[in-house]
Amino acid sequence: MAKLWAIIKREYLERVRSKWFLIATFFGPIFFSAIIIVPAWLASRSKATSDIYNTTILDATTTGFGRRLAINIAGDSTILSKMPEVRVVAPRALTQAESTATHSVMQNEKTGYLVIDQQTLAGESARYAGRNATSIADMAQIKSAIRETILASRLEKVGLDNSRMKEITFIPLDFSTERITEKGRAGSGMASVMFGFAIGFLLYLSIVIYGQTIMSGVLEEKTTRVAEVVMSSVPTDTLLAGKVLGVGAVGLTQQILWIVTTYVLLQLRAPIMAKFGAPAMNFTLPDISLGAGLIFLLFFLLGFIFYSSLYAAVGSSVNSESEARQAASPLMIMIVSTAVFIQPVLLNPTGTAAKVLSLVPFSSPIIMPIRMAVTGVPPLELAASLVFLAIGCLAALWLASRIYRVGLLMYGKRPTMREMAKWVSYAR
Amino acid sequence: MTEYAIDIVNVTKRYAEHTAVRDLTLRIPTGSVYGLLGPNGAGKTTTIRMILNIMAPDSGSIHIFGRSSSDPKITERLGYLPEERGLYRKMQVRRVLKFLAELKGVKGSDADKRIDEWLVRLSLKTPEKDWGLAKIDELSRGMQQKVQFIGTLLHDPDLVILDEPFSGLDPINAQALKDTVVDLKRRGKTVIFSTHLMDNAERLCDAVCIIARGEKVLDGTVTEVKEEHGQKNIALALEGDGMQGVASILRDTSLVRRADDSNRFFEIEMATGADPQVLLRRIIDSGASVQRFEMIQPSLHQIFLQRVGAQGVEEGMTGHG
Repeated sequence: MAKLWAIIKREYLERVRSKWFLIATFFGPIFFSAIIIVPAWLASRSKATSDIYNTTILDATTTGFGRRLAINIAGDSTILSKMPEVRVVAPRALTQAESTATHSVMQNEKTGYLVIDQQTLAGESARYAGRNATSIADMAQIKSAIRETILASRLEKVGLDNSRMKEITFIPLDFSTERITEKGRAGSGMASVMFGFAIGFLLYLSIVIYGQTIMSGVLEEKTTRVAEVVMSSVPTDTLLAGKVLGVGAVGLTQQILWIVTTYVLLQLRAPIMAKFGAPAMNFTLPDISLGAGLIFLLFFLLGFIFYSSLYAAVGSSVNSESEARQAASPLMIMIVSTAVFIQPVLLNPTGTAAKVLSLVPFSSPIIMPIRMAVTGVPPLELAASLVFLAIGCLAALWLASRIYRVGLLMYGKRPTMREMAKWVSYAR
Repeated sequence: MTEYAIDIVNVTKRYAEHTAVRDLTLRIPTGSVYGLLGPNGAGKTTTIRMILNIMAPDSGSIHIFGRSSSDPKITERLGYLPEERGLYRKMQVRRVLKFLAELKGVKGSDADKRIDEWLVRLSLKTPEKDWGLAKIDELSRGMQQKVQFIGTLLHDPDLVILDEPFSGLDPINAQALKDTVVDLKRRGKTVIFSTHLMDNAERLCDAVCIIARGEKVLDGTVTEVKEEHGQKNIALALEGDGMQGVASILRDTSLVRRADDSNRFFEIEMATGADPQVLLRRIIDSGASVQRFEMIQPSLHQIFLQRVGAQGVEEGMTGHG
């Protein structure tokens, strides 16, 4: 036990002390925040920005239309700063006023200006020029404000009084959208999809990174012959167990640090995003119960044991990094093909593909937590998935420990699959 | 039973295509310096790995200090220096040593003290520089070898196994290793080393075992082995010219069975029944100037060549076996 502990301690401390661990720990949360925030930020771009308040209305209608339009653009806001500036100009002086306004946009004092005249009153045309002229959302907001104002003034003409008119034209419609594809609903909510994606990606990344870490660690011990010294002191199974547990603990430490800092970053997103000129988004992180959190953890640990023991077996059977990369390609294919299914599973978490992949040991550690994040999973399926994965782990460990103890002592050419099968049958 | 440090009885180990060790029986007395000699691929490394319980024999038994080699407690009394050497390159020297000590059951604080002693003893820690704080890959090759010795001996093992310890050693480290072996012997430890360098074995070992092609060829104390091979050998050293004439005399199989030619020095094994005096007279008659003509015991090298033959050397596989 003390020897197992010595191995775990070495694996853990040597890796946590390395500068790669520090770099990954630092950049991980930034990356994860980015993959959560950027899509949400892009989505928020489809809402009108505050740019439209910082505009000038050149009112050549001579009817006070501009003032009412400004109120409508401000969205009934009484805050003066949110209201576009209205400049009443005589139709003759419009050209002059426009060039002044253009100048102030060029000087970055204003975002743009809107020209309204008799034709606008007739409902025929209006003109806008400005930096945000390509923003579909901004333009749509201005356009609808103009329509509303025209409608209001027409109603006024037929005799509706001001308060009645407001009542009729004020429609603060909150229009939420949801996508439906041929595969079904496009997700029950942006936040939980993002969360599911983050979980899947995190698991995928950890398994790939730390699986390969184990592989190159084993290879280093083999090529430097440290393995022989260690094997003369402890049984190979202890060595393998110590490696998997030690590196697994590093992975776990990293994930906990990532999750905590990402959480903090997301809590602080408002001031951070304000720096990028984006409004704070309103999304709540999905509530994850302690039980669900522990199950995620269990999936990570089992998935990690499954892959890392196989990676260790690969590392022990080869003699160089380049051979290792080649020999590890079947494992890589298993992991990457699972990762390819992350998106389809997110879109359709209750489909057949999702169900099958969350039962197969090599994909379940990534797919099942995703399903759990975006939809309810029947307890029976969850239990079956865990049982299969545990069996898969035992099989992988059994296979790996047999390849490992023979492979570590075999130098020379890379073994064929048949030779490795023979190793498995060796007693010791 | 415990008078033997190692007691190997009828051990056989087979690999897929060949038998690495065949029916080997070997007893190594406690407190001796023992040489395991043989060409590359003879089965030395496999034998050592079985002693260390890295591999299990297919049949036969191995006991170390009277206990089965698979007894986990016994590994703490063994120290092992593998043939090809390396350490965790990115790790600090002290941490590597502490890790190796912990694997042998040495407690942390105890390990720290011993590491200090050893670093000072092998001048890796001087008032100017403490190499213990450096990373392994910052050390020169010679220093790395020293670190590896320390790792082998840190837990004060009763049985030390050195696989080809002299290969790649500079003369200073080679001397340090010899001193260490002598010191271990003085303290009652058992030292086994495998080598194909007979000179070192002859000078250091109390007893030897020669194995070839997985089988024991002979074993016993160095004196016994030499006596067994008679006093028929002659050391001949020549001065100046006249080599040609001597060479033809040495090819006379009625007189000489085998001559090991080292240019100016020859170790000659006489043919059965041949008289050394006849040989001496013929050499003098040939006009050669004799510097030394001495009846000697055969060297291990000579015995090795005689018993294993060139064939055994050539058949040996490269690498391990």
